[in-house]
Amino acid sequence: MTEPRIAEELEKMESDYEPLLPVERKLICYTFGTGVVLLAIFVLISRWFV
Amino acid sequence: MTNLPTTLNPATAPSQGEALAIAQTRVTEDWLAVWIGLFVFALSLALLFGIDLLGWAVTTSVWTVPSKALAPASKHFANLPAPLSLVATYFFLLAVLLVGAKALRADLKRFAAGFTAIFIVSYACWFLGSWAYIAATPDKRPALKIAWSLNLTNESGFIIALLAGLVVGNFLPRVARALKEAVRPELYIKTAIVILGGFLGIAALEQRQLATSVIFRGICAIIEAYLIYWPIVYFISRRYFGFSREWAAPLASGISICGVSAAIATGSAIRARPIVPIMVSSLVVIFSVIELMVLPFAAQHFLYGQPMVAGAWMGLAVKTDGAAVASGAITDALIRAKALAATGVVYQAGWIMGVSATVKVFIDVFIGVWAFILAWIWSAKIERLPGEKVRVVEIWQRFPKFILGYVATFLIVLAIGIVVPGLIPKVKASMAQANLFRSIFFLMTFFAIGVLSNFRKLWQEGIAKLAAVYVLCLFGYIIWVGLLISWLFFHGVLPPTLRG
Repeated sequence: MTEPRIAEELEKMESDYEPLLPVERKLICYTFGTGVVLLAIFVLISRWFV
Repeated sequence: MTNLPTTLNPATAPSQGEALAIAQTRVTEDWLAVWIGLFVFALSLALLFGIDLLGWAVTTSVWTVPSKALAPASKHFANLPAPLSLVATYFFLLAVLLVGAKALRADLKRFAAGFTAIFIVSYACWFLGSWAYIAATPDKRPALKIAWSLNLTNESGFIIALLAGLVVGNFLPRVARALKEAVRPELYIKTAIVILGGFLGIAALEQRQLATSVIFRGICAIIEAYLIYWPIVYFISRRYFGFSREWAAPLASGISICGVSAAIATGSAIRARPIVPIMVSSLVVIFSVIELMVLPFAAQHFLYGQPMVAGAWMGLAVKTDGAAVASGAITDALIRAKALAATGVVYQAGWIMGVSATVKVFIDVFIGVWAFILAWIWSAKIERLPGEKVRVVEIWQRFPKFILGYVATFLIVLAIGIVVPGLIPKVKASMAQANLFRSIFFLMTFFAIGVLSNFRKLWQEGIAKLAAVYVLCLFGYIIWVGLLISWLFFHGVLPPTLRG
């Protein structure tokens, strides 16, 4: 069994481009947003209470 | 959590049958680290009952005369010649690891031969790194009667071992092939981390409030790493580099979280083909080596006034367990040496590395949870397949088991110290003995990482585009955000001082 070469894989990806789905955009935005909000909360907790 | 891909270096690449065996024993290697680590830990604890079971183990001091470098660890074995102590240490580790290799269904003869070579080269590097002109800190120079030194501490042996491994991995493919059965950096580092738990337990006993604070801040920092790193790397890979979802998700996990383990867990969570996480993992290891050789020195130069920030930064920025904790160990030594030289402050050893290990361990804990979340999103929202459900038990299946060993040794030491405070000095002596083996496992990790890293072959594979995403995200985003998060959570938190 031959394994695909990376270069061929990457070429294939360029020809079969998968656009970002709305659900992926949501995943990116919600994850990042949650991270930023939690960052502020945790920094405050760590400064004031720990 | 999982084995480093041995396909990384063609000289150490497994055959199809061997690959199957690796796949079948993947979890076993994780558990094996727990049992080996706990075994060494348990033997060291015999000191509590007045039985010195590990006192014969070899220790290496900073030296100017080679014959004075080695000695047995305990005064009970003061009459044991140093070379015999070294040989005893070798045979003990060989015996223990051969039992482990048998459990892993490895070729025992090849493992023994490979381990012997790895041990000899690694210890030679440690010995060289302990040469006073390389290792001595300024306060030790008068006693050693030397006028100058590189001030790198004896942890410079780790870097020398890494360089030796890189030479073997890149220029001596036949040697790398001969060693491959014993080139298991993940097994070595996980065993070291289990032993490290007890060592950090001692530190926590002596500074309970600081330890609690470090653990809390470590948890906060890693949650941020998942939520802030991953989406941006995923977005950049998809939007600007045109990667498919199958490649972008493991790549984002590999760059953002804990390298190899996260890439493989994510790959299986989204049902990517095996080649995807393996190639991502290869890249992760290569860049970990680069980070390992650069970031500790950058931390020493810029962050010696904020040692805990530096430790957390290593845990957040350097991928793979081995390279992260190893970077923490080097940073620990370099920063303590620099702080001493620049300000006269002597920080207690182990705290900076402890922060790196804490952050890394928590990152590992959450890999299973993150993989579960991604698996659910992929199966329920992105690639919805009728009747397919994600099982909660997958979180446990993906949980890195060696962490149980780390937590166990940490809690046992803590419990002994809290319940019987009078035993703390003896526990400390026990952990000092166990720590000798931790250092040797670290050393072998460095050498093994080097052997696995074949830069030239990876470039020939046409990995430039993957590497471009990696370089952009790692050096343009992860490292700096990691530094910012480390600064936010650990700024002003200092290790205990011994003097200054």
